[in-house]
Amino acid sequence: MNGEIIGEGLIKQFGNYTAVSGVSFKVETGEVFGFLGPNGAGKSTTVAMLTTLALPTQGRALVGGHDVVTEAADVRRIAGVALQEIGLDPIMKSMELLTIQGQLFGMSRREARDRAMELLTIVKLDEPGVMDRRVGKYSGGMRRRLDLALALVHRPRILFLDEPTTGLDPASRRDVWNEVRRLNREYGMTIFLTTQYLEEADELAQRIAIIDKGQIAIEGKPADLKAALGGESINLTFDTPETAMQAQDAVQHMADRTQLDRNVLRLYRPKAAEIVSPVVSVLNDGGFSPSALTLSAPTLDDVFLQVTGQRYEEDAGTGPVAETFARRGKSADKKAS
Amino acid sequence: MTTITQSGVTALPVKKAARAEGMPFIHQVSTMTARAFRNSLRVPFAIIPGVLISIFFLFIYTGTLGDAAGFLPGLRGQSYLGFILPLSVLSAALSGSSLAGDGIVRDIENGYFDKLMLTPANRAALLLGHMISGAFLLVIQTGIVISVAVLMGLEPATGIGGVLALMGISLLLGTAFAGLPVGVALMSGSSAATSGASFLFFPLSFLTASFVPLNLLSGWIETAAYLNPVTYVIEAGRALLNTGWDGDVILRGFSSILLMAAIFFTFALFALRVRMKRK
Repeated sequence: MNGEIIGEGLIKQFGNYTAVSGVSFKVETGEVFGFLGPNGAGKSTTVAMLTTLALPTQGRALVGGHDVVTEAADVRRIAGVALQEIGLDPIMKSMELLTIQGQLFGMSRREARDRAMELLTIVKLDEPGVMDRRVGKYSGGMRRRLDLALALVHRPRILFLDEPTTGLDPASRRDVWNEVRRLNREYGMTIFLTTQYLEEADELAQRIAIIDKGQIAIEGKPADLKAALGGESINLTFDTPETAMQAQDAVQHMADRTQLDRNVLRLYRPKAAEIVSPVVSVLNDGGFSPSALTLSAPTLDDVFLQVTGQRYEEDAGTGPVAETFARRGKSADKKAS
Repeated sequence: MTTITQSGVTALPVKKAARAEGMPFIHQVSTMTARAFRNSLRVPFAIIPGVLISIFFLFIYTGTLGDAAGFLPGLRGQSYLGFILPLSVLSAALSGSSLAGDGIVRDIENGYFDKLMLTPANRAALLLGHMISGAFLLVIQTGIVISVAVLMGLEPATGIGGVLALMGISLLLGTAFAGLPVGVALMSGSSAATSGASFLFFPLSFLTASFVPLNLLSGWIETAAYLNPVTYVIEAGRALLNTGWDGDVILRGFSSILLMAAIFFTFALFALRVRMKRK
């Protein structure tokens, strides 16, 4: 069964503004594909074209073998969509929303109700106290999970998730991740996931494309992309960018590659752990005292920096940024200790 | 494609979805109507003020002008209550006509409309649900207003048949009027613009023989009243309540409603096409 998603030279212009400028990709049946990029990179516009909500200005896209322009009805039937903007009527209840959705997809009322109950159990919204409430009273995480359930009503073989965890607390985010993995594993569902969280793409996607300014900057398996950067890195934090720059001169010869990011200096080379102690002594001899030293495997963050020339966080808004940073820091620390 | 999916894959639970060509149109409409109606009942404050204002008008007009009615040449021997009630019914129809537009614009604003657009549902069913539910509520509102008038001593010249005909007029008029706010809702997607659209009806309900018979008007307002289709609708209502089954007047009333329905629905359909067109 065809669960492929193919984009060929997709372009979308709004007046003079080009939101997506020539995007091509192929997602295989049963794959989780991460479409990663900062706000305004063109992710949602691409999803809108793939899900028949917007027409491409140029280019072509096939979803499950159906052309999104000429066979929109077929695309809608086989694809489930959870948009970034959650589309729930706040004065309705979860059961009502799910049942109507099922009926509009051709189920009998009974079938639709059974399916609704099944989905409410899956997304853990099946407690009586929750089901009795209007969805306007739900928390962000609950709304997001219900929206996901709505996307699954008609048992789609392809699922589009546009920033499914934006605005969620870490626990709810975990829940969504587990559900995405489960859908992919148990039903072989093809999942096209956009996200602005590097960590999310890394966790979930078998393959990712980084989209920046309307174009795909790089595409591949997360491990390959990271490996291409060349091994692990020693990350040295200094008090000022100037000190970091001077320290770079002192230790540059010890690494395959160095990278300066404000007051953080990174030394890349395979098995970087082996050179920690020589690096520290060289720094001591030179009178540099880093305020922190961590060791980390390359992250998608590094990949992003490499391909776009800017650190991911600078573009990606405020809230999630701090968290990405914090998590990165934490995992790096663990590895170093 | 249906056959491939059905026979090819048994491990995956897709058979129901693959079979679905969507539910029959009439079912879609009834499902969406029930949903819109239930929603309206959950927000009763969207309905109650309309009814109250109509009843308020009824009290005020009869209270201030009721005794003077005997002196008005065109009204001698007739009930002022019967004369003014059609205006009250018109105001109920007006407030009812905005319900459909409000419901649609709410769906657009909270994103639910997009969710429905992603189903194979017929696009017209998504609108008709709101419009039929709005019409239901309008009939209920009109019924309440007429009941109050009966309690106040209304004795319609055409009896119960006339009252039903008046409710029919209200239903048709409200539905015809609904075309405008629905069109604006689809076109703008903005609730402010949609409620603004209903205000356009305000002059229509006053540039007419509101408080005195048509033949007592003069000058520009007489011209305006003659041109205003709402005038003939009110005249038809008055005939039903005060004079009897006057075929010509009633026919003119219904034709006026059809004329307005044609205009507003053409606009609504145009707006629907604009909204549905993928950009």
